[in-house]
Amino acid sequence: MTATDFPALITLLTEGGVEFIVIGGVAATIHGSAHITVDLDLLYRRTPGNVERLAAALVPIRPYLRGAPEGLPFRFDAATIHRGLNFTLQTTLGDLDLLGEVTGGGTYDMVLPEAETALLEEHRFRCVSLRRLIAMKRAAGRPKDLNVIAELEALLEERERDE
Amino acid sequence: MAEPRIVIEPDPVIEVFKKDIDRTLLRANLKLSPEERLRKMQSAVRSVRVLREAYTKSRP
Repeated sequence: MTATDFPALITLLTEGGVEFIVIGGVAATIHGSAHITVDLDLLYRRTPGNVERLAAALVPIRPYLRGAPEGLPFRFDAATIHRGLNFTLQTTLGDLDLLGEVTGGGTYDMVLPEAETALLEEHRFRCVSLRRLIAMKRAAGRPKDLNVIAELEALLEERERDE
Repeated sequence: MAEPRIVIEPDPVIEVFKKDIDRTLLRANLKLSPEERLRKMQSAVRSVRVLREAYTKSRP
């Protein structure tokens, strides 16, 4: 198992011209969370062009269905992405979850207007807003998220207190 | 037109969990840039992995 290389994955996708928004634990980190996460969750845009760019960008890191038996005839190409929606993948850079739609947020185009821009070296990428991230976590309704939601709301309070 | 701000209504269950949050960690992180926060977490992930592997190897 590879420890997920978050900066390398984000760089790979931005260099490939992929339209995505960082959500989940890495978005929480970007907003200041002290929690550690093990995978990168991305909301990707499901336009034909972006799906093509996404499939092409991931070829070098050999995406495969996480937890699936070895040897399946799985190809992460544009046709596969169009047939599916959300994918939990393992890659040579670590675990990557690609979501076409997310509870409490919807699609890329729905989340984009309030998304924030972040910078990783010279690479610009989108990150879900803190308020939207809290809304997503609340909507997911998972008991394991309670502590994370509390932390995100505390972050929101800290951030707004300083503004 | 600006997007309407998402309203986060207080939730009594979340408020209970919020009491245990270590805000000193959050304040320290807020002093960093988003990129620095990401790299700090990446470093922590690698450290945890090294410790986990060392523990696994040390077990009989």
